[in-house]
Amino acid sequence: MKYLNKSITEIHELLKSKKLKPIDLVEEAFANIENNKEYNAYITLNKEEAIKQAKELESKEVDNLLFGLPIAVKDNIVTKGLLTTCGSHMLDNFVPIYDATVVEKLKEKNMIIIGKTNMDEFGMGSSSRTSYFGAPKNPWDKTKIAGGSSGGSATTISCRDVLFALGSDTGGSIRQPASYTGIVGMKPTYGRVSRYGLVAFASSLDQIGPLTKNVYENAVLLNAIVGKDEKDLTSARKKEEDFTRLIGEDIKGMKIAVPNYLMSDIVSPEIISKIKDTIKVLEKNGAKVDYVDVKYLDKAMTLYQIIAMGEASSNLARFDGIRYGHSKENPKDIQELYFETRAEGFGEEVKRRIMVGSYLLSGENAKIYYNKALSIRDDMKKEFINVFKNYDLIIGPTTTTTAYNLDDPMDDPLKSFMDDVLVIPVNMAGLPGLNLPVGFDKNHMPIGMHIIGNAFEEAKIYQLASFIEKELNLDLEPFGGENNE
Amino acid sequence: MSNYIPTIGVEVHVELKTKTKIFSNSTNGYGQMANSLTNVIDLGYPGTLPTLNEEVINLGIKAATILNCKIRKVMHFDRKNYFYPDNPKNYQITQARTPIGYDGYVEINVNGESKKIYIEEMHIEEDTCKSAHRGTKTLLDFNRAGVPLIEIVTKPCISSGEEVKLYLEKLRELLSYGEISDCKIEEGSMRADVNVSIRKNETDPFGTKAEIKNIGSISNAKLGVEKEIERQTKLYDNGETFKPQTRRFDDKIGDTVLMRIKETGNDYRYFPEPDIPFVVLTDEMINNVVETLPMLPDERRKKYQELGISELNANKLVANRPLSDYMNTLLTEKTNHKIASNLLLGDISAYLNRTEKDIKETTLTKERFLELISLLEKETLTSKNLKDILDTVMESDTSIKDIIKEKGIENITDDTEIRNVIKEIISNNPDSVNDYHNGHDRAIKYLMGQVMKETKGKANPKLAMDILTEELN
Repeated sequence: MKYLNKSITEIHELLKSKKLKPIDLVEEAFANIENNKEYNAYITLNKEEAIKQAKELESKEVDNLLFGLPIAVKDNIVTKGLLTTCGSHMLDNFVPIYDATVVEKLKEKNMIIIGKTNMDEFGMGSSSRTSYFGAPKNPWDKTKIAGGSSGGSATTISCRDVLFALGSDTGGSIRQPASYTGIVGMKPTYGRVSRYGLVAFASSLDQIGPLTKNVYENAVLLNAIVGKDEKDLTSARKKEEDFTRLIGEDIKGMKIAVPNYLMSDIVSPEIISKIKDTIKVLEKNGAKVDYVDVKYLDKAMTLYQIIAMGEASSNLARFDGIRYGHSKENPKDIQELYFETRAEGFGEEVKRRIMVGSYLLSGENAKIYYNKALSIRDDMKKEFINVFKNYDLIIGPTTTTTAYNLDDPMDDPLKSFMDDVLVIPVNMAGLPGLNLPVGFDKNHMPIGMHIIGNAFEEAKIYQLASFIEKELNLDLEPFGGENNE
Repeated sequence: MSNYIPTIGVEVHVELKTKTKIFSNSTNGYGQMANSLTNVIDLGYPGTLPTLNEEVINLGIKAATILNCKIRKVMHFDRKNYFYPDNPKNYQITQARTPIGYDGYVEINVNGESKKIYIEEMHIEEDTCKSAHRGTKTLLDFNRAGVPLIEIVTKPCISSGEEVKLYLEKLRELLSYGEISDCKIEEGSMRADVNVSIRKNETDPFGTKAEIKNIGSISNAKLGVEKEIERQTKLYDNGETFKPQTRRFDDKIGDTVLMRIKETGNDYRYFPEPDIPFVVLTDEMINNVVETLPMLPDERRKKYQELGISELNANKLVANRPLSDYMNTLLTEKTNHKIASNLLLGDISAYLNRTEKDIKETTLTKERFLELISLLEKETLTSKNLKDILDTVMESDTSIKDIIKEKGIENITDDTEIRNVIKEIISNNPDSVNDYHNGHDRAIKYLMGQVMKETKGKANPKLAMDILTEELN
């Protein structure tokens, strides 16, 4: 019997009626993961602890929708007693002594952490190929990338190993792999989810979010992880809300903006055509869709590189071999400890970004680049706010192409940024954005639509996403449900 | 040696007296077992984030107020990036661009003249951890990592070692009174770095700077500056130059020694700390904090002297905070403040030192103290007798009157009894009476002595003198 491709409500009922036990789900999850091993979604499995926890849950009351459900956690979110590598040699021996706030929240709901998912090293990349542990593969075509940096989380959901995964998104790292693998991925509003325990890449952009196979489950998981955290000063105090509350409502009268830039010739015609098809569905159902000009969208990438790399160069300075992580053995002096630890511990892409970031903050450059980027970023935020004065949501494609080949060259560092050109503006403005699968290209690789909301309006995004999901009713199981038995 | 004009600027770091650290809830403490006051935030573990201790901002407001600084209402923190083993995140969170206080001054008294030492800025930052070198190894103690600091930077407006000393003393007094810092140099809760340069004329550009670090006491700061001026003078006199450098004060030789030549272009890659939102202060927040400030030393000195207390005693009181606070409870009382200050600094201080008590731990309530002063003023109690009863006054709740009665040292204030004694003494000492009438002052003192002898010191001296004078005439 197979449960983990059923809906959360079905599973919940079975658990409640004791027809199903958490241990059954855990065992099935590990069997799935074993079956799909070649997709390389995981860096570390939490087998022993997950089984132990599942057994302990048998005596507890099934008190919430997420009770007893396995979840995969991106490997840059710290988990007490469970290896947390960030996809890097630098931390391949790092066992945290504390839980991230989101992990505490998952544990409060009695969710079971099944393992830590593969990712680009410290989140730096867009194909998960910078992982020290090798790249995950796309379940729709194993010769293709799964995207990144949350490639492992996207892969395991796409494979239907488990229902839930957490990722993190600094410049598209949840939405872009979700798009490539045909799943739902949400980057919440900056400040919605605590960053405490998320190993920082770019502090002013990083945000944790849920990856799931459908919209409803995505909203349910988001319900569980949000909230003001005293440990994170950038987390926002907001009234408690149910993100599923608008799911099922129609979209009549909804006003939707489509920025012209997102539909320009930087995007493949196949994708544009699929988005246009979807727009027709929206219009047919009473939504008003306008094409609009949004300033600065074309500048977002440049801003992102300056801000993200600047912050990263500082955030990653703590990996010095003194207190944790990789450490050069028997260094002759402190200089050698620093140099060799970091030379050995970090991969090429991370080193490149640290160097560029250091340069950008160096001397007068901080004023010329970083401070200027921050100020243009404010303008960009204002531009988005203006759009939202007249529109409920913004839509467009999530990516410019569908997933490309794993063995495509990695020698152009700018290419990886270009993969995220459409999703980065959302991080710059701190807005929520979601990827929804809306179809396939001629090779049957998933195409995703990007739905952007005003700050803290995730519920509205879910409303539109679930409406489209229902209308399109796509078959989104990569193996036709045949791989996991 | 020629005469040069010294230009001196001082940077002082003080550790703030908070319960917890600036960016985590670890205890802020001194002298504990190494690394016992730490958590994952202090250690810079991956994924950790800073929180902001409000107490630090409040103490920052207090310090800025005390140092007559303007207070910045919108401020943020910055990261100062540099690799060093005592710097757990390899960046220090500080306020590089928006210091909480700026454009202030401290007044010092140089040879009877008041001089303002101008404060360029004062900012909040975190302390590093402490490193100890053992042979080829370096040990790190992170208890100090994340202890809140305020760095106070003067303008280069100081012109001698003596002024540096006076400034540091004044700063220590002010910050201790504001309960901002312990200012214990020996424990490192106050650390001063001094920049010294000299030049021939006021119109010349500033000379090459040497920074003196590792100064273990205020007197060493003065000495260090004087030695450095001397060293630079000799060099210039010999036609030599030197590079900007960092020197440390060596206690053993009582002089500064070279630590390192300053490399130009230290690049700290400052940028605004993205993990801490901007801090916005309102007038109300500032006022609420300022209201909690105690009366400051200079105002106390002024008030005391207005109440007839000598300058010497006023200074002594201010130097002893608990006694000064006690004195302040009497400021509006109608009493003899001079006697009060003498008592506090004399017998009461001696008692407190001997018993190692704080005045608050004694039974000397304000009311009892006022009664004591009044008895002394009326000379119902002599200062000799006070010594006999002081311990009881400080340790029991018995009323002062009863204590005096019990000890049998109550002065004879009975008019008739004293008069009878005096009459007898006058008749027994005709020579002295004669001398008195002939204008010999000594005679009346002798007669008074006889009165005291006869009454075993119990006669109220004032009353006895009045009656004696009356009877003699």
